[in-house]
Amino acid sequence: MLGSQILKMPTFIFQGGRKANLSVLRVILAEMRKNYKQFFFTYYSLFWVLILPFGNGLLYYFMYLPFTKDYIKFEWLGRGLNVDIIGFTLIGQLAYTFFLSTLIAAAIFDREREQGTFEIMLLSPANRLAILLGNTFGASIRYLWLMIGTIAIFAFSFNVGILINDFLAVFLSLLLSFLALLAFGLSLAAFSIHSRRGGLIAIACQEPVAYVSGLVVPQNALPQTLAQAGYLIPLTIGLIALRLCLLGGVLLQDIQLLLASLLVMIVVYVVLAHFLIKIAEKSAKAKGTLALF
Amino acid sequence: MWHFLRVAKSTAKASLISQWRFFRWGGMGLRLFPPLLNLGVAWALYNTLFKGETSLDFVMATNSSDYFSFVLVGSIFYVYIVSSLFGLGRAMFWERAQGTIEALFLSPMNYVAYMIGMAAASFITSTVDVLLLFFLGNVLGFRAQHIDVLLLIVGIFLMLLALFGLGLIVNAITLTFRDRVNTANTLMTVLLVFSGIVCPIAIMPEWAQIVSKTVPFTYGLDILRTALLYKSDIANILASIMNITLLASLYVIIGIMLLKRIEKNSRKKALLTVL
Repeated sequence: MLGSQILKMPTFIFQGGRKANLSVLRVILAEMRKNYKQFFFTYYSLFWVLILPFGNGLLYYFMYLPFTKDYIKFEWLGRGLNVDIIGFTLIGQLAYTFFLSTLIAAAIFDREREQGTFEIMLLSPANRLAILLGNTFGASIRYLWLMIGTIAIFAFSFNVGILINDFLAVFLSLLLSFLALLAFGLSLAAFSIHSRRGGLIAIACQEPVAYVSGLVVPQNALPQTLAQAGYLIPLTIGLIALRLCLLGGVLLQDIQLLLASLLVMIVVYVVLAHFLIKIAEKSAKAKGTLALF
Repeated sequence: MWHFLRVAKSTAKASLISQWRFFRWGGMGLRLFPPLLNLGVAWALYNTLFKGETSLDFVMATNSSDYFSFVLVGSIFYVYIVSSLFGLGRAMFWERAQGTIEALFLSPMNYVAYMIGMAAASFITSTVDVLLLFFLGNVLGFRAQHIDVLLLIVGIFLMLLALFGLGLIVNAITLTFRDRVNTANTLMTVLLVFSGIVCPIAIMPEWAQIVSKTVPFTYGLDILRTALLYKSDIANILASIMNITLLASLYVIIGIMLLKRIEKNSRKKALLTVL
């Protein structure tokens, strides 16, 4: 009884207090299941979440070899830290691949359009945000490939210079970074309804985001304008927070500002996604552009 | 022979017309972003983070400390690798997707000539991208130390031959396994990491050096860099030329054999248009 009440609560919130036709949690779970069945055991997933991250990780590590084999200088708010290159690259790839998963999941409406199921999806009483959320969560499950691969290879083969002094800081950095990336993915997915090139946008975003987010080179080495643009992407702030507390051993009070920024981003991007979906759906229905190519 | 050349020429012409008639900025972005990222990272590392100071190992391996120019040469030729994998490597895949592969196989043309035509069109389009990157590289600080024209021509010819062979092999894989992106993407990642595009082979870990030696572009890039950036002794250059010639020939022979095999198999098993 209590379980049923708890299940109804998010539905009530998502429906803005109106009577729910379909449980939000059921929609999320169904989308996650669909995503898992369609993609988890495919070569496509294996490439995006295992081969590509390891390939890119090696590539970026090799780019440092002409300069140094050990440490690089990483700066944040005037504080300089010397961090291990392998750790710097590894943490970057782990966070970036999660970002990529959400980016690729953002092309969901393109796929539905191609399959001819987009109209049916919008005819169903399922909550749109729940569909996107389920799809993005589903994409996150694919991320397990990378976690297994990372643990299997790196834990036994490389000496990663991890230095943790505050586990709460690590936990909060991980949690808020991943939630902020999920929220950002939701916004992108909502944005892709407006376009018929969601897949192309997702793929074309990879390299610019990789550059401005400080994935390969620290933010302090980038041209100032690009570095500042990078702060609009949660990946940038998440990467700084994760690297500081995993490689620099900083405490919670040192990264409070970063965590607060991530929190703000979560709220902003979820609200943005909500409005973008509403506008896109309304406009597509009014103009009859849902399924037309 | 005349017929062979006509097929190659008309295929190249038709392919070029369709590539430029349906020109998309998004497509161009997808081709240019990976090498641009390499260039951007190389620029930031060399100029800002390490302030022009490369390690002694790098200087010994390349006879120069100019990392940005080193990466630029690698990156502009990486464009051809992408073009070979995604253009030539999926030529017949797209014919099937468009429903024209049966007509292609019904015609009495030579398929190697057809693939040469497709390769020519892809490489011509890529040359536009390469010129753009070269221009941008010059603005950002690329400096050719010297230009050995003969070696440059030999290097480019052998690189394109190896890429043609690779494209034929990938074409066979994508057509047989109905694979649109996975093979090309995976090979692209492997070649980017192990061809010495961003780092001299000599300073990579030992296991990576072993992998690099099986990739023809490693030798091709060495020849091209020798022609543009640093001097190398004649024995080294000859060894690189011999290695890339051997590997490129091997790729082309395997590619042609596979092309004939898939043509025969597809007809026999009626697999041409079944999706």
